Amino acid sequence: MTDLLRVRDLSTRFFTEEGQINAVENVSFTVEAGSVLGVVGESGSGKSVTGLSLIDLVESPGKITSGEIWYNNADLAERVEGDRPEAVDGDFVDLRRLSEAERRSLRGSAFSMIFQDPMSSFNPSITVGEQIAEAAEVQRRASANPRSTRSRTQGYGLGQMLLDGVLPNRSYTSEESWDRAVELLERVGIPDPAERAEEYPHQFSGGMLQRAMIAQALAGDPDLLVADEPTTALDVTIQAQILDLLADLQETMEMSVVLITHNLGVIARVADRVSVMYAGEVVERGTLRDVFDDPVHPYTKGLLGSVPDIDQPGERLEPIAGNVPDLVDANMPDRCYFADRCPKAMTDCLTRPPEYEVSDGHRARCVLAEREYSEADAVPDERFARATDDGTAANDGSTAADGSIASDAEVSDD
Amino acid sequence: MALGRFLLKRGIQGVLVVWGVVTAVFLLRFITPGDPVTFVAPLDASAELRAQIAADLGLDQPLYVQYVDYIVGLLQGDMGYSYLRGTEASTIVLARVPATVELAVAATVVAIVIAIPLGVISATRRREPADYGATLFSLVGISTPNFWLGIMLILVLSVQLDIFPTSRRPIGLFETFAFLVTVENGLAAPMDVGAFLDGLWTWLWHIALPAVTLGTYFTALVTRLTRSGMIEELGQPYVRAARAKGLPESLIQYKHALQNTLIPIVTVLGLQLGTLIGGAVITEAVFSWPGLGTLVIDSINVRDWPLIQGSLIVIGTGFVLINIFVDALYAYLNPRVVH
Repeated sequence: MTDLLRVRDLSTRFFTEEGQINAVENVSFTVEAGSVLGVVGESGSGKSVTGLSLIDLVESPGKITSGEIWYNNADLAERVEGDRPEAVDGDFVDLRRLSEAERRSLRGSAFSMIFQDPMSSFNPSITVGEQIAEAAEVQRRASANPRSTRSRTQGYGLGQMLLDGVLPNRSYTSEESWDRAVELLERVGIPDPAERAEEYPHQFSGGMLQRAMIAQALAGDPDLLVADEPTTALDVTIQAQILDLLADLQETMEMSVVLITHNLGVIARVADRVSVMYAGEVVERGTLRDVFDDPVHPYTKGLLGSVPDIDQPGERLEPIAGNVPDLVDANMPDRCYFADRCPKAMTDCLTRPPEYEVSDGHRARCVLAEREYSEADAVPDERFARATDDGTAANDGSTAADGSIASDAEVSDD
Repeated sequence: MALGRFLLKRGIQGVLVVWGVVTAVFLLRFITPGDPVTFVAPLDASAELRAQIAADLGLDQPLYVQYVDYIVGLLQGDMGYSYLRGTEASTIVLARVPATVELAVAATVVAIVIAIPLGVISATRRREPADYGATLFSLVGISTPNFWLGIMLILVLSVQLDIFPTSRRPIGLFETFAFLVTVENGLAAPMDVGAFLDGLWTWLWHIALPAVTLGTYFTALVTRLTRSGMIEELGQPYVRAARAKGLPESLIQYKHALQNTLIPIVTVLGLQLGTLIGGAVITEAVFSWPGLGTLVIDSINVRDWPLIQGSLIVIGTGFVLINIFVDALYAYLNPRVVH
C-alpha cells in the first residue's frame, strides 16, 4: 500500500500567558492511501491539535514549530518542483515548506476536516445546502484555474459579499454547485435532499447534520478526511450509523481517514492502523491488531483495561491513576511523561525514552519494548511524590536535568 | 406564512402599546400642575369667561367623557387645537415629523457607514494600529456629550472656518424631491434637475453637523458592538469549519461572520433609532432644527397640551413602528426566530 501522508517529528506549541504549551511534540506517523488511521488518547493528549496541524488550521496563539508533513501528490509535486525543489521528494511534497496560500488551496480539495459538534460547525443563518454548495463552488472555481489562488473569489467583490449576508438570492454559489450539494446530501443518506438543502441547520437533527457536515467535507473530493471526534456528540445508535457511513465512503471514494477519538470502540470498529497519544506524544503506534492485541506501552494497556469487556461481566474496570500532565513546557519533567502514573516505572524511565521498534511497523515509546519489567529496578511511587515536594531531592544520580519536575500543578493535584 | 403570522402578532402588540401611550399621555395632563385655561385666557379674564373657555375646550366634562372624546378624535386624526396658535394640533405636529425623521435617519446612516466597516477592520486586525485607532475613537465618541460636541462643531467648522452653516433647515428632503415631480395646470411639468441638486446640496449642507453630532455616540457604540461581535463570531466553530472547507478568508469574514454579527446590531440600531426620534431634543435645540424635540420643549413651556400630547403620541407610535420593522428584519436575518 502506498503512503498518502508521512508526518515526521511534528511539533505544535501554544504560546500562552501561562507559558509555552507543547500540545503536540515530535509526533510521527504515516497515513496509507485508502486506509483509516485511528488516533486515540485522553482529553488534552494533543490528538485534536494533531488533526488541525495536518490541515494547517492551528489558530493563534498556537503554531506549528517544527516537523515535516510529506503529502503524496504527483501533480502538486510537479507544479512545486520548479520554484522550490527542496519541498519536493519524488511524488511527495512537504506541506510545511509551501507558501501559506498554497497550503490554503489544499484545504477542502486535498484535505478536509469534520468536527465534533455539527450544530456549531454550521453557520446558523445560512441554509445547509448553501453551505455545502459554497464548499463545492470554491473547488469548482479553483479547479478552473489551479495556479491562481485568487480565482476563488474572482468576480465576487466585497459589496456582493455584504449583500449576500442580507439578501436571499446569493451570488457566490452557482446552479452547478447547488446541484452538487444536493447530490452530496443524497450520497450521505439524507432523505429528500433537494428539500433538506433549503433548510437551516437548526431544522436538522444532530445525526443528520453530522451527515451534512460529511457531505460538505466531501465536496472537493479530498484525499484525506480528518474526522475529529465525529460521533462524540451523537446518540449511541446514531454513532454506529455515522461510523458505517464513514467506512463506506472511505472505501468507495478511496480516500484516507484520520479518525480522532477517545473512544476505543470506535477505533476497533473502523481503524486499520492506530496511534495512541499521551501528553502530546505518540506513545504507541501500529496496526489495529498490534496495538489492541499486543500492546506494549503500559498506557495503552491501561486504556484497554479501562474498557468494559462483555465476556467478563464481573470484572472490575481498572482506571489509570493520576491525571494527564498540563503540558506547560516549564512543568514537563525530563523523563517519560507517563512514568508518574505508570505501574511499571523503572529507573530507565527517568530519562526520555526514544521510539522503540517492537516489530515491523509497531513502535512504542517505552523501554518495555526492549526489556522485561524487573522489580529490582522499580521506582517507588514516593520518588515522584517526593520529587514534587522538592525538585532537587529527586535527582540523586539518575538524571542531571530534571530539576524542573516540581510543578505547581502536580503539587495541587496531591 | 410564518413571517406573516409573526408580523400580525407584533402588529397587535404594537396597537396595544400605542393605546397605552395614548392613555398615559392623556392622563399626564391631570397629574401635572397648571390649568390650561390660565394660559389661554387673558390675564384679566372674568370667572365667566374662564368657565366659557373651559367649556369650549371640553375641560368641564367628566374625565371618562374627555377620554372617550379624545380617543374618538384621534381615530379621526383629530388631536384638538393648539391652545396658543388656535390651529389644528395634528397639522403642527405632523409638519415637524420630516425634520426629525431626516435627522434621525441621517445620524443612523452616519453611524452605519462609519461604524460597521470600522468595527470589522478593528476585529480582523486585532492589536494592530487600526484596531487601537478604532478603539480610541469609540471610547472618545462614547464619552463626548453631544451638546458640547454640537457647540464645538459650530464654533470650529461654522464660526471659525465657515465651512458649514451654524443652524436651521431651509429646505426639507421631501420638498427637494418635489422639484422632480412638478405639476403645472394638472400636467406634469419638466423636471427641474438644477433646482433639485441645489436643494439637495443645501439640505446636505445643513444636516451634516446635526447628523454628526447626533450620530457620534451612536457610531462609537456600534463600532464597539461590531468589533466585539465580529471577534466572537470569528472564534465560532463554524468559522473554523468554513476554513477547513477551503473558503477564502474574505468570504468567511464578510458573508459568514458579519451577517451573524449584524443580527444583534440590527436590534440596537432599531432601538437607538427610536430613541433618536424622541431624544434628539438637545441636538435640535443646539442647531435650531425644527423637529418634534423642539416642539415638545416649546409646548411644555406654555402648557400647550394638545401639541404636547400629539407630539408624544407621534413619537411613541414611531417608536413602536420602528420596533416592529426591526423585529421583522431580525426575523429575516435570523431564520431561527421564525422557524
